[in-house]
Amino acid sequence: MTDVRSPQAGHGIASPGAAEEPADVAGETTADVADETAGVAGEIPADVVDETAGVAGEIPADVVDETAGVAGEIPADVPEETEIPPPRPQPGTFGVVAWARWGWRQLTSMRIALVLLFLLALGSVPGSLLPQQGIDPAAVQQYFTAHPALAPFLNALGLFNVFAAPWFAAIYLLLFISLAGCVLPRSFRLARTARARPPQAPRYLSRLPNSVRYETAMTTEEASAAAAAFLTRRRFRLSQGEGWLSAEKGYRREAGNLLFHVALMGVLISIGVGGLFGYKADRLLIEGNSFADTVTDLDAYHPGHLVSANDLAPFSLTLDKFSASYVASGPDRNQPASFDAHVSYTAQPGGVARTYDIQVNHPLNVDSTKVYLIGHGYAPVFRVTDGHGKVVYDQATPFLPAEQATYLSEGVVKAPDAKPQQLGFAGVFLPTAVDVNGQLESAFPAPYAPAVSMIPYVGNLGLNSGVPQSVYQLNTTGMHRLATPAQVLTPGQSMKLPGGAGTLTFAGLKQWASLQVTYDPGQVPALISGIVALAGLVLSLLVRRRRIFVRAYRGDSGRTVVDVGGLARSDVGGGFEAEFGELAAGLRSVHDHDSSPRSEETE
Amino acid sequence: MAVFGVLSIAACSGQIAANTPASNGSNFVSGNGDSSYFKAGGRLAAPDVSGRTLSGARLSLSSYRGKVVVINFWGSWCAPCRSEAPTLAVLSEQYQSKGVQFVGVDIRDSPASAQAFVQNFDISYPSLNDPADEIALAFRHTVPPAAIPSTLVIDRNGQIAGRVIGQASYSSLGNILAKVTAGGMSR
Repeated sequence: MTDVRSPQAGHGIASPGAAEEPADVAGETTADVADETAGVAGEIPADVVDETAGVAGEIPADVVDETAGVAGEIPADVPEETEIPPPRPQPGTFGVVAWARWGWRQLTSMRIALVLLFLLALGSVPGSLLPQQGIDPAAVQQYFTAHPALAPFLNALGLFNVFAAPWFAAIYLLLFISLAGCVLPRSFRLARTARARPPQAPRYLSRLPNSVRYETAMTTEEASAAAAAFLTRRRFRLSQGEGWLSAEKGYRREAGNLLFHVALMGVLISIGVGGLFGYKADRLLIEGNSFADTVTDLDAYHPGHLVSANDLAPFSLTLDKFSASYVASGPDRNQPASFDAHVSYTAQPGGVARTYDIQVNHPLNVDSTKVYLIGHGYAPVFRVTDGHGKVVYDQATPFLPAEQATYLSEGVVKAPDAKPQQLGFAGVFLPTAVDVNGQLESAFPAPYAPAVSMIPYVGNLGLNSGVPQSVYQLNTTGMHRLATPAQVLTPGQSMKLPGGAGTLTFAGLKQWASLQVTYDPGQVPALISGIVALAGLVLSLLVRRRRIFVRAYRGDSGRTVVDVGGLARSDVGGGFEAEFGELAAGLRSVHDHDSSPRSEETE
Repeated sequence: MAVFGVLSIAACSGQIAANTPASNGSNFVSGNGDSSYFKAGGRLAAPDVSGRTLSGARLSLSSYRGKVVVINFWGSWCAPCRSEAPTLAVLSEQYQSKGVQFVGVDIRDSPASAQAFVQNFDISYPSLNDPADEIALAFRHTVPPAAIPSTLVIDRNGQIAGRVIGQASYSSLGNILAKVTAGGMSR
């Protein structure tokens, strides 16, 4: 048996000085590519995407030396593509083109991409520390009143609308260009590699990690032809020359890699498209109420940069009924079991009314605009009669859950048109009210024993000043609390306010659902791109690129000597040795049957 | 005003309970008081809208054809609407003799609160009751009312001549009205 050399077996020959340079180039290119790769995303395992680095590491130095620019991953044509950094120009000779090249290289480098990513994160910080115009304009106005000197300055910097600020846009645009500038050239390179033919066989195959040598009775030409036929049957891609044969397999790895990069661009573009043309909006809707997808009828509205108010899908939606069920016993007691928002909707004014049951993760889809159920709560119905005996308030009032486990909720009632003075109430709603040692608590989130406890205020609600205020909070600075003993109201019960200020009636109970309206044209492309990227990644992970070299020459004895060498360019999963052994044995048996396959066939 | 996709609310978790609605505590999209005037020739036709008024009568916009119509989208719960209400009441009386008809569109409101508001501010012009916001929706292809309150001015030919987004002031709405009515009986 001839020896199959293991990769560790040895490569003791020192590099000749002359071969130093190509090796250097290889090293630099590798680093460069690795840089760019890492710049794309931290999650890509370096060894997957970067077969260059992997191979350079695997090829013993002597192989690289001898076959400089051939056996290695780095064919001679790569340097021109990978833009080996030109020698740093002298300051005086730094022309516009050089500057542009330098700038582009900087921008598309991993370091800058990371810096931009960091800046993006840093830029979002004021967005969470300062009130934002798009999210809470009332808070922004309050900030202006509280900090009259600082606020205009911050406003000039766009810090009250961070995500729409020009500097923020600049950061993410630069980041996008940086990523694109890194991924695109790499895609071209990969496309080229995926179509490349195997390089010339190295001269001394015995120095490869895997090699065998044997003799055959065939002539060198016959041996080469037989090896070519054998490897072609095994679906290798071939290059042939005088007395040598070079075969490579596993290009799907490159194809997968290319797919991954192209899909990554797809993800970026999809997100960009979604950000420009999509919108998100929230709406709290009480049972029996309707809303239309128009800006005036939304609670919060976050349009993309290229979305105008008349781009919104013109549907109307009515919440017919909301139901929730909860786990009644066991360790998961009080946990929600199901939510159903039964809605009826028309896709456009005058359209056919349809019904739908929106559940969590089961959104309603109206012409690609999705309506998600993202929250729910109770809306006690209150009726307020003012001091003159007039009903000035009669509606379901959304209360916000304060305790998730029991749905104890808080809310306020504002009757700004009550006479002689404006009335306000702040209090709690308890779906299943129980008395625990004189303390009112809710025992369960379902409305088994609903009750409210409200504290009345009279005075100035502050609404007439025109400053928007939260509908869930009472600004009591201009009001005073009416002295009444705490009263718990159950549905149908009323409480009389002292001094004939009026009456508050807990008239009934409804539920509300919080709906999120989203339109993201980039969602489906992003999903598809993501799946493709994953598939490409898996392909490039699983497929091994490997080369088999065959050299047939006349030996000293006059018989034909066959050298077979093998090189796995990315043996992540291992197992190339076994494959090589099997291929070498196959080749040998083809060559041993020297009496030529032809004679066998004629039998 | 545009916000580049920033919502902390994730719609994909199994639990929805933790999400309070409307990160916007004021619960509506408020405007900044921007007013715009559209020159004759560059105006879009207003849709004909109709509905029931707060007092229950039927009202359609086309019945005011030939007059300048001011449509004000409001709600009794909305602070800027309450703040601008006295201004609107004054302007509606001042311009009545110049052939200007004010019409309110009461949105996201309850009849009881709306009635109390109208009486409280001595609003003499009618208001359409539009709990489902269908009237605002009807304007979507023209000059949509982009906030609450929003005020649209429709000229004598039924075309939209101006808009105030957010709280209207005496000068912002008054200037538009002065221009639109100064045009005389066009055509």
